[in-house]
Amino acid sequence: MTTSTVGPAAASAPAARQASGPAQAWRRLRHQPVTLAAVITIAIIIVIAAAAPLIAPYDAGETDFTSVLAGPSADHLLGTDDFGHDILSQLIYAARTALIVGVGSVLVAMLIGVPMGLILGYKGGWYDRLGSRVMDIADAMPGIMIGFVVIAILGRGTLILIFAIGLIFSMNFARMVRAITLTERKKLYVESAHVTGLRNRQIVFGQVLPNLVGPLAVQGAVFLGNAIKVEAALSFLGLGLPDDQPSWGGMLRTAAEHQVDHPWMALPPGIAIVITVLALNLLGDGINDALSGARTSRKQRKRALHQAPTLAEVEEAKRAVSSVVTTPVAVAPALAQALVTTDKHPDTVLAVRDIHIVADRPDGEVVPLVSSLDLTVGRGEVMGLLGESGSGKSMLAKSILGLLPAGVRVESGSVELAGEELVGRTERQWREIRGKKLGVVFQNPQANLSPVHTVGRQLIDPLRIHHGMSKAVARDQAADLLDMVGVKDAAKRLDDYPHQFSGGMAQRVAIAIALAGDPDVLILDEATSALDVTTQSQVLDLVLDLREKLGMAVINITHDLGVAAEACDRVAIMYHGQLLEVNDVFSLFDEPHHPYTKALLASHPTADHKVDRLPTIADFVTADGEWIAR
Amino acid sequence: MGKLVLYRLGFAIPQLLVVSVVVFSLTYLVPGSPAAAILGVSATPESIALVEEQLGLNRPAGERLLEWFGGLVQGDLGTAYRSGLPVTEMLAQRIPATLSMILGGMVVAIVIGVGVGVYTGTRPGTKADRLLTGGTVLGIAIPEFWLGILLTTVFAAQLGWLPIIGWVPFTVDPWGWFVGLILPSLTLGITGGAIIARQTRASMVRALAAPYTDTLTAAGVPRWKILYQYGVKNAMVPVLASIGVVFAILIGVSFVIEKVFSFPGLGSLMLTSTIGQDFPVVQGVVLFTATLVIAVNLLIDILYGLINPQARPA
Amino acid sequence: MDREVIIPMTAHRPLLDVRDLEVAYETKGGLFRKSMTTVVKGVSFHIAPGETYGLVGESGSGKSTTGRAILRLADIAGGSIDFDGTDIAGMGSRTPLSYRRDVQAVYQDPGASLNPRHHVGRAVTDALKRHGIGDRASRRKKALESFEQVGLTAAHLDRFPSEMSGGQLQRVAIARALVLEPRLVICDEAVSALDLSTQSQIINLLMDLQKDSGVSYLFITHDLGVVRHISQRVGVLKLGELVEEGVTEELFDNPQHEYTQALLTASPSSTPEGRDERRELRQKRRVSVPSLRQAS
Repeated sequence: MTTSTVGPAAASAPAARQASGPAQAWRRLRHQPVTLAAVITIAIIIVIAAAAPLIAPYDAGETDFTSVLAGPSADHLLGTDDFGHDILSQLIYAARTALIVGVGSVLVAMLIGVPMGLILGYKGGWYDRLGSRVMDIADAMPGIMIGFVVIAILGRGTLILIFAIGLIFSMNFARMVRAITLTERKKLYVESAHVTGLRNRQIVFGQVLPNLVGPLAVQGAVFLGNAIKVEAALSFLGLGLPDDQPSWGGMLRTAAEHQVDHPWMALPPGIAIVITVLALNLLGDGINDALSGARTSRKQRKRALHQAPTLAEVEEAKRAVSSVVTTPVAVAPALAQALVTTDKHPDTVLAVRDIHIVADRPDGEVVPLVSSLDLTVGRGEVMGLLGESGSGKSMLAKSILGLLPAGVRVESGSVELAGEELVGRTERQWREIRGKKLGVVFQNPQANLSPVHTVGRQLIDPLRIHHGMSKAVARDQAADLLDMVGVKDAAKRLDDYPHQFSGGMAQRVAIAIALAGDPDVLILDEATSALDVTTQSQVLDLVLDLREKLGMAVINITHDLGVAAEACDRVAIMYHGQLLEVNDVFSLFDEPHHPYTKALLASHPTADHKVDRLPTIADFVTADGEWIAR
Repeated sequence: MGKLVLYRLGFAIPQLLVVSVVVFSLTYLVPGSPAAAILGVSATPESIALVEEQLGLNRPAGERLLEWFGGLVQGDLGTAYRSGLPVTEMLAQRIPATLSMILGGMVVAIVIGVGVGVYTGTRPGTKADRLLTGGTVLGIAIPEFWLGILLTTVFAAQLGWLPIIGWVPFTVDPWGWFVGLILPSLTLGITGGAIIARQTRASMVRALAAPYTDTLTAAGVPRWKILYQYGVKNAMVPVLASIGVVFAILIGVSFVIEKVFSFPGLGSLMLTSTIGQDFPVVQGVVLFTATLVIAVNLLIDILYGLINPQARPA
Repeated sequence: MDREVIIPMTAHRPLLDVRDLEVAYETKGGLFRKSMTTVVKGVSFHIAPGETYGLVGESGSGKSTTGRAILRLADIAGGSIDFDGTDIAGMGSRTPLSYRRDVQAVYQDPGASLNPRHHVGRAVTDALKRHGIGDRASRRKKALESFEQVGLTAAHLDRFPSEMSGGQLQRVAIARALVLEPRLVICDEAVSALDLSTQSQIINLLMDLQKDSGVSYLFITHDLGVVRHISQRVGVLKLGELVEEGVTEELFDNPQHEYTQALLTASPSSTPEGRDERRELRQKRRVSVPSLRQAS
């Protein structure tokens, strides 16, 4: 890796291309084989329906009384029904009616539902309250009942059928459009545009309508399938189309009458319906996935499963290497002094050696996330891991825990915790480590806990697993733990749910859970970043108190210089997956070696001193992206 | 808990009232007079007026509405135009068959749906998942009445394992009742189950991707516990909603498949009264159905409040 | 337009004069009740032309709500907000276009404050168009000028938000805010979501632009370090009330109110020197001021 990957050129690299936009969706769609098959199927059905008079061997109403209820023959490929109609021809003409009624009713549904949803979502207030009540009433009825009622009132007929089925699905569209409108209305860029002076209506419709196209296409396809099913059901009952119009449902009605002696008659219309509806559903799903970029290729899944080294492989690799200490090749000699491998703690509890973590991109490219990283943490010490977003610090933490997300893996290297190798463990092997030797607290307090279980439950489960105690004993222990982390009324609070705790309190609970198994190392992954300043200092002070009391080592991952200064014994600076500098905290802040560290310290505005103009990272880098050793 | 029930009831009852009023006013939407429909070809202005008088159709709307509500409270749903029988009686005769079918269908749907959904949600991307998910995709595409025809053709007509005419009242022969319900329940349960399975799978996947699973895994909680205790409970919330939706759908579907299984339920009653424009009966069936759906949704809302502590009134 | 840079002097009429401001939100009560929660109460402060006023507080302090009230995005339940002598509350339900020119905002999440479907140049030209400034060609020219002023180039004009970094997007947001030549810009946590390496750049940019144009800033933030650097005067909000206010240096060197003191002690410092003493001080405070203990 060359030095041109560090520096401001890289620092201002554009964020990854996001998964939105019609161009990307279209591209993705073309790579989804199932969706393409569905599109082709539907195209074929449309062609058959449109060209019915040309394709069908017999006319729609043509009957042949000499051949009634006959099985498949040369004249009639699928046989005849009780009136002597050729079933194949009926099938083809019925495709026409199915599509006409289906498309007609979806259009009716959209014509009613879309404006209604827009008005309810945009206007809100009384319009919305009233409209929501109307939608609730529709909720109280099975869809097909609405069809019954409309037909009861208005009678039979093709147009009435289209209207009835359209009405059934109109509320679904209204609901969807309303939800999308409400969501868009609340978005920040709508508010920003408003502050700039743009008119509300202009903004909302300018945003909402383009955002509607995708979901409408998806729901349109799905409801078209449903509409065809409903039409078939109503025709089956004799409530649908007039008897002289061929329909799949009507054909099934006839088939049901002759079920016992001519069972095969039920097959052609039923299969036709299934194929059509299936194709439409798959199309809807396909459009949905293309828009959201949710589908991963089979290749990508396979790679993620098979390329991580196993524990055995790692041990083998370690035995093969004689020396343990490596100096990173990437750093130019002049800057080598920046990597002060300090007096290693006499008692190392965690040792990371030459670790490489990579991500597998869907197009096959392998992106390095952390490169050639060496780190040691001593027993009972607080090691700060300081870096910005994208520095790889979170991935390092996750690799230590064995919680790397799908598509990210440890390519090589070793992580030893109290002498035991961690890289390459299977789930079963991880059980010996997690909770017992390692604990972790993540960033978002409310998301760290299961919202539908009590806090007590989430403490008792780990306690029982690690110490094998009975429920009653575990409950007492849990109360003690909560007390130790500073939660008042601990015993009572065991029965509370996470949402009843404030952010700071919820993080204390998370700390308690992490410490339940009495681990050797506690990892805080941006654990205080989401908290208020006063709460943050309380939680940090708590962690320091606990360290004194329990003696575990702490890895404090943060992007906040102040947190590193206040709470850590040693600090490691990470940038773009590389370790730039490691030193004890006082020395680091007093005499930073690496230009990046110097720049970071200089450019950070703090509450206790003031400069006239903040230096920036750019001040420490040449035009070619090389660090300036000042 | 009691607070939760009262709270939800507070929403359900007005909804029911509004539905009743809407149902009542449906008769006013009809072009022409039901009397003319009843009399058919032989209608003359005098005979129409006579029939209207008989059926009380020419009284002011407000009066009829009050009478309607008065009757409702007493359990009287009026009398059918054509047969002259009390609607309540007509409904009562047919409710057992419909309810049995729906009950059977829901049991099958929930068992299949939740079972398949949890199974596939906990192992997404595997062969088993893709096979079963493909099955659910097929399941929602199949017209239910066609499935019913196929099942009866194969199991009843051809193999003779099960009777073709299914309905036996429970009071007459419990075992016969059960056997007769197998095919209809399967028919309803397969499509309903497919819908529930898809929703369950999606919410399982989402629940398992949430950050708390990382926290608990890191704390040493074994994977099976995270999947089946933590994941499932978190996933249940949207699944309950889909069960409510499926219930409403199944009622409608049961009306359609009655014909296939020769079940004397509300469906055939609805059919004849729709064709004959016999509004008291139509109104009666609609009102009963709506009440049933609202009641079940109420139950589901309460269950939802039990599972999700944030949904309970403070 | 050529603006004089005016040195803040108390004799001049303040640009923004907030008095006894009260803002309340509707919260869902029970079935039929509709209760109001007061989020800001009795807040008074003023901002002179060309001045930066820092408004600090933790979550729930009401600082963002105050900014929204000034932007007329939240209803004023009590008190008054005078902008250049005119009472905002008296403007009626339609905000006059001139106000939308004079008062602008830059938000915390730069990506979310820009329309993902439009290229970023349009954010600026749409604003100009709405205010009837120039024709198509001159608007594009002005957009380019404003981009260059914030350190972006012509190439950026046609990019989509998804193709740009957080720092770049925030520059776009600043360009959009300043192209209309406003007199007051509300910066609501404008640098909080940016990377460390970008924060200082944006802070410098904001200060430079202020020197050139004489615009006033209401800088809303929870970060004491940033506010100390950028503002001349600071107000401290706690749970909707302004507990202390003053010239920045004085407030930081000699905080009077115990909440301000607690905030400063809790604020992580720039160096580990003296941290043991700070920790002891916090512990003493925690024991003697029980109200703070409950704060988390």
